[in-house]
Amino acid sequence: MALSQSSPDNLNPSPVPGAAVVVEDLHKRFGKLEVLKGVSLVAHEGDVISMIGSSGSGKSTFLRCINLLETPDEGRVWVNGELIRMKEGRHGAVPADARQVDRIRSRLGMVFQSFNLWTHMTVLQNVIEAPVHVLGVPKREAIERAEALLEKVGLAAKASSYPSHLSGGQQQRVAIARALAMQPKVMLFDEPTSALDPELVGEVLRVMRQLAEEGMTMIIVTHEMGFAREVSSEVIFLHQGRIEEHGPPDQVLANPQSDRCRQFLARNL
Amino acid sequence: MNLSIMWDAVPKLLAGVPVTLQLVSLALLFGFVLAAVIALMRLSGSRIASSFAATYVFVFRGTPLLVQIFLIYYGLGQFPEVRSSIFWVILREPYWCGILALTLNTAAYSSEMIRGGIQSVPPGQIEAARACGYSRFLVFRRIVAPIAMRQALPAYGNEVILMVKASSLASTITLLEITGIARRIISQTFAVFEVFIVAGAIYLVINFLITRLIRYAEWRLTPYLRRPA
Repeated sequence: MALSQSSPDNLNPSPVPGAAVVVEDLHKRFGKLEVLKGVSLVAHEGDVISMIGSSGSGKSTFLRCINLLETPDEGRVWVNGELIRMKEGRHGAVPADARQVDRIRSRLGMVFQSFNLWTHMTVLQNVIEAPVHVLGVPKREAIERAEALLEKVGLAAKASSYPSHLSGGQQQRVAIARALAMQPKVMLFDEPTSALDPELVGEVLRVMRQLAEEGMTMIIVTHEMGFAREVSSEVIFLHQGRIEEHGPPDQVLANPQSDRCRQFLARNL
Repeated sequence: MNLSIMWDAVPKLLAGVPVTLQLVSLALLFGFVLAAVIALMRLSGSRIASSFAATYVFVFRGTPLLVQIFLIYYGLGQFPEVRSSIFWVILREPYWCGILALTLNTAAYSSEMIRGGIQSVPPGQIEAARACGYSRFLVFRRIVAPIAMRQALPAYGNEVILMVKASSLASTITLLEITGIARRIISQTFAVFEVFIVAGAIYLVINFLITRLIRYAEWRLTPYLRRPA
């Protein structure tokens, strides 16, 4: 599949009109190692897609390719019907238009395994930072919205605390509020509970479950099988850079067809 | 020890404080700007810019400040081309030669502190900003620079103090800052011990205040390193 796509958007309509995210035949190599060998995905509005698989299966890399934190070597990504335009750089594919990438990223909320809150800012400052400086939201309005979001994740009382003074679960909930403050169309979660102590996992999953119930479109890389089964509309099992199995959670998680998926679940349930 | 000579020297030496502070603050100001440019060149990824910056740091950090001062003030003036250029307006003045030498010197050291500060910024915090749609410049302005500055501040405080002391070398090119005035008084009174004790005490007071100021700035800028109230 050719990667060079510099023609206007209307010549590159999404193959699935109306979908929030469409990924087509994504390939990613790190040196000689091919981490993703042609992965595709369609997320309609309101979908909650869980990606599971053993470490090294490429699921985090795939998620990071959607908002171009990693640059895919081949394949195409549409966000809200807009194709992310790529061109050939000196060392392979690069985004054709950095501003388009910035704009698309601002519509995709990202939650990281290690939270990545800005340490020199308070909780409130973390949440208003991007809306004010990327979207140009007036500060007062951003603060009002941030306070409502902190309320929603149960941390209104911590608005003036610094991230270093919070527990991991609290930090991750702030990170979710920070992502939501951009009013994203889609939320990407990259193993949001993997860095947490077991007793802190629940509070983060509760917030994510609430988001799913409100109809947020979510793509979640996770090891929490119980959670995936409860909230997902679709589960994708990745194995060695390929989709080995996908479908509704009851099918993939309870009645998997492939041996590899069965083995993986036997180890992880 | 002659106390009355010491007492008489105090107001005379204090008259040199403004010159010392001017030398230091102007050199720090210009030096910081130059240091930021050098640090960014060093980190630019361009091999030419990076090796130019590395060479600059190597030369100015590896040679004595006194030699640099002499080269700039006495050395450059021997070339007719320099004397007939527009730079002569600056290079014939010991005041500006002193500031120039201190600037070039502090820029070399400070650029390494800035580089270290920038490199210490956790990649995850940069990535989080990129994921929110920050442009490279906005990431630098809002995330990298504030974190790097806080990281570099303690080391930079040291540099400020070193600069206050290094400014005394400007006395060798006839500048009448604290040390220059001290040397002039000594040439008249031969009271080496008394006058230099007073001069040293004045430097000590200046550096005490600077230390406090830097520590206060650190305290204000890093509330997240303190226990929550």
